Amino acid sequence: MAAIPYPLGGAQAEAKRPAFSEYLRWSIDHKIIGVQYIVTALFFFVVGGGLAMLIRWELLTPDLDVMANGSAYNSLFSIHATVMIFLWIIPIFAGFGNFLVPLMLGAKDMAFPWLNAFAFWLIPPAGLLMLAGYFVGPAEAGWTSYPPLSTLYSPDGQTLWAISLHLLGISSILGAINFIVTVKNMRPAGMGYFQMPLFVWSILATSIIVVLATPFLAGALTLLILDRVAGTAFFDPSQGGDVLLWQNVFWFYSHPAVYIMVLPGMGILSEVLSVHSRKPIFGYRMIALSSMAIALVGFTVWAHHMFTSLTPELRIPFMITSMIIAVPTGIKVFSWLATIWMGKIHYTAAMLSALAFLSMFVIGGISGVMLGSVPVDIHMHDTYFVVSHLHFVLYGGSVFAIYAGIYHWWPKITGRMLDERLGRIHVGVAYVSFFLTFFPQHIVGMLGMPRRVAYYDPQYQTLNVIISISAFVLGISTFILLYNLVYSTIAGKRASANPWRALTLEWMTTSPPPAYNFVGDPIPFEDPYGYGTEASKAYIDAMEARFGPPVAPKPAPAKPAAPVAPQPSAGD
Amino acid sequence: MRPYDKLSREFIVTMQQNLLEQHLSKEELLALKNKRSGMTVFQISWIMAFFCLIIVNWQLRYSYTQWPPPGVEKMGLALPTLATGALLLSAFLARRGLKAIRQDNHKTFLTSWGTVLVLGALFVVIMAYEWLIVPLGTQYGTVFRLMTGFHGFHALVIGIYMMTIYQNARKGQYGQFDFWAVEAAVKLWYFVAFAWIMFYAVLYWI
Repeated sequence: MAAIPYPLGGAQAEAKRPAFSEYLRWSIDHKIIGVQYIVTALFFFVVGGGLAMLIRWELLTPDLDVMANGSAYNSLFSIHATVMIFLWIIPIFAGFGNFLVPLMLGAKDMAFPWLNAFAFWLIPPAGLLMLAGYFVGPAEAGWTSYPPLSTLYSPDGQTLWAISLHLLGISSILGAINFIVTVKNMRPAGMGYFQMPLFVWSILATSIIVVLATPFLAGALTLLILDRVAGTAFFDPSQGGDVLLWQNVFWFYSHPAVYIMVLPGMGILSEVLSVHSRKPIFGYRMIALSSMAIALVGFTVWAHHMFTSLTPELRIPFMITSMIIAVPTGIKVFSWLATIWMGKIHYTAAMLSALAFLSMFVIGGISGVMLGSVPVDIHMHDTYFVVSHLHFVLYGGSVFAIYAGIYHWWPKITGRMLDERLGRIHVGVAYVSFFLTFFPQHIVGMLGMPRRVAYYDPQYQTLNVIISISAFVLGISTFILLYNLVYSTIAGKRASANPWRALTLEWMTTSPPPAYNFVGDPIPFEDPYGYGTEASKAYIDAMEARFGPPVAPKPAPAKPAAPVAPQPSAGD
Repeated sequence: MRPYDKLSREFIVTMQQNLLEQHLSKEELLALKNKRSGMTVFQISWIMAFFCLIIVNWQLRYSYTQWPPPGVEKMGLALPTLATGALLLSAFLARRGLKAIRQDNHKTFLTSWGTVLVLGALFVVIMAYEWLIVPLGTQYGTVFRLMTGFHGFHALVIGIYMMTIYQNARKGQYGQFDFWAVEAAVKLWYFVAFAWIMFYAVLYWI
C-alpha cells in the first residue's frame, strides 16, 4: 500500500485525568462538559427509573394500592416520561457528542466553548425545577400535556414543567448550533464530509432537527404558560381557542424529537459494529445520507400521532409519509447487518449492546409501522401496544445504544477499562429482562388494556405481574452498570490509547486525552472504517508505536500507586 | 477621505478579506468564521419560532368562519406601514454603517447608526401603541398581542444591544479588524426586519 500519513502527533507519556473538582465547576473544556452531561443524565436515569419502578409496583394489582389516588399515578408517568426523554436520553447523547465530536474531528475544542458550558449548565436547574413540581403538585397531564388536561386540570407543577422544558429546549438549541458550526468549520485538512465518522454525521443530522424543530416546542410551551398564568385561552374552545393547536405544534416538534433521541444512537451503532467486527462499514454513504433523509422526512409525519383527532382526509397522507420514513431506517438496519456479516465479531460488552439494539430496535420499528397504519392505530391508540412500541425504540433502541457507547468509549473518557465480565452480565440481564418487560405489553395492549390508567381489568393481571417482575430485574440490572462505572473508574485496568484498535481520530491520542486533545494536528486515516487493509494495519501499528500497545502492560499496582482522582460517579 | 468609494464592490470585499487575513491570526480567522456560521444557524433556527406563531395565527383564524371575528374591527394599516417603512430604512442604514466601519470610516458609521437607533425606536414605539390599542376579548386580539409582543420583545432587546454598540463606537472601540459586534448587530437587525415583514403580511394584509 501507499505511504501512510503518520506521525499522528505526539502525546504525553502518562495521561492524567483532570481533578475531580474540575467536574463540579464551570469549565469550557468539551471533555469535561461531556462528562458533566453524561453524569447528570445518568443521575436522572436513576430518578426516572425509580419512578418507573413505582409505576410497575402500582400495576402489580388491578386496584389502586401504592399511590394515594389516580392523580398521583398520573404525575408518576408524566414525570417519568419527561425525565427520561428530556433529562436522560437527549442530554446523554449531547454528552457523547460533546466529548467525541471535537476528538473525532481532530479539533482542540468545540466552536463555541463558552456557549457549550452555558448549554450544559441550563440542564441541572431545569431538572431541579421539574422535580420541584413535587412540592407544588407535580404535572399530571402526561409528557404530551394535551390541553385541557394541562391547562385546566393540572396543578402548578405543570407550569414548572413547562418552564423547565423551555430551558431544556434552549439548551438543546445552543448545543446544536455548536455542533453544526463545529462540524462545518473545524474538520481537519483531508477530511471532507464523506470522510467523517458516522457518529459525527448522526450528530449533524440530529442538530439540524434540533435547530429546526425545537423553536416549535418553545412556541407551544409559551402558549401553554400564557394560558396557565396570563389568562389567555389559546387552547380553550369555550373562548374561541383550539385544543388541536397544541397537538399540532407540539407534535411538529416532538415527532422530529424522537429522531433526536435515536439518530445519535444509530451513529454509535455504526462505530461499534464496524470496530468490533473488524470490517469496513457497509454502505457508508447510504448510512450517512439516510440520517439526513430521516431528519427531513421526520418533519412530515407529525400528525400520525393524531389519527384519532385529525380530519379524516388528512390521515392517508400522513400514513404514507410515516411508512416512507421506515425506508431510510431500513437502509441503516440492512447496512449494519451487512457490516457484521462474515465479520470477525468480538463479543465485547459494547458489541453485545449494539447487537441488542439491532434486534430490539427492529421489533420497535415494526410495531411502529403497524401503528403508522390508520386502521391499526385507531384500534391500538392509547393502549399498552403504544407503550410497548415506544419502549422498544427508546429503551431497546436508544438506551442499548447508550450502553454500547459507554462500553466502547469509557476507556477513552476515563483512561480505565470497564470490567468486561460485569459488562456482559449487565447487557445479558438487561436484554432478557427488557424483552420480558416490554414484549408482553404488546399482548396486553392488543387485548385492550389502556395506558396511563392505574386500574385495569383483572384478566390482565397475570401478564402485568410478569411485566412488573421483569421490570424490577431490569431496574436492578442498571446498578450493575453503575457499579461497574464507579469501580472500574477507580480501580479498573489502565486503558491504552486505542484498546479496540479503531481507526477514528478520537483513539489517536492518550486515554484520557490531554488538554486540547492532541499535540500537533492529527492526520486522519483516509477511510475511518477501512479495517482489514494493509494500510489500516500500518496506521494502527504506527499509532501503537507512539502511544503503547492495546493491552496495558499490567493492571496498575493495586494499592499505593499514584493517587487517582475519582471520577464523578453516577448517582452523586 | 474614502479611497474605496470609486472601486467596485467586489474588489473592496476581496481587499478587505486579504487585509483581514494579513492582520488576524489563524485562530482569530477561525473564530470569526465560526461566529458567522453560528449566527446563520441561529437565524435559521430562531425564525422557526416566528413561523410557529404564524401557524398558531392560521390555525386559530381558520377555526373561525370570519376573521377578525364578527364585532371586531381590523387594525388600521397606516401606522404599521409607517413603522415597517422605518424598520426597512433602518435595516438599510445599518448595512451602510457596517460597510463604513469595515472601511474605518467612523463618522459615517456614527451618523448611520444614530439614525438606525432613531428609526428603530420609532418602530418600537408605534408597535407598542398598536399592542396597547388592539381590541381584546377575542382570539384576534390575543394572537395579535402575542405576535406583536413576541416580535417587539426581540426588537427591543436587539435595539438595546445596538445602543450599547453606539456608545462603544463613540469611544472608538470598533474598526477595520474589529467589527464582529457591529456585524452581529446588523445581522440580528436584519432578522428583526425579516421576521417583521412576515408578521406584517400575516397580521395586516392576509
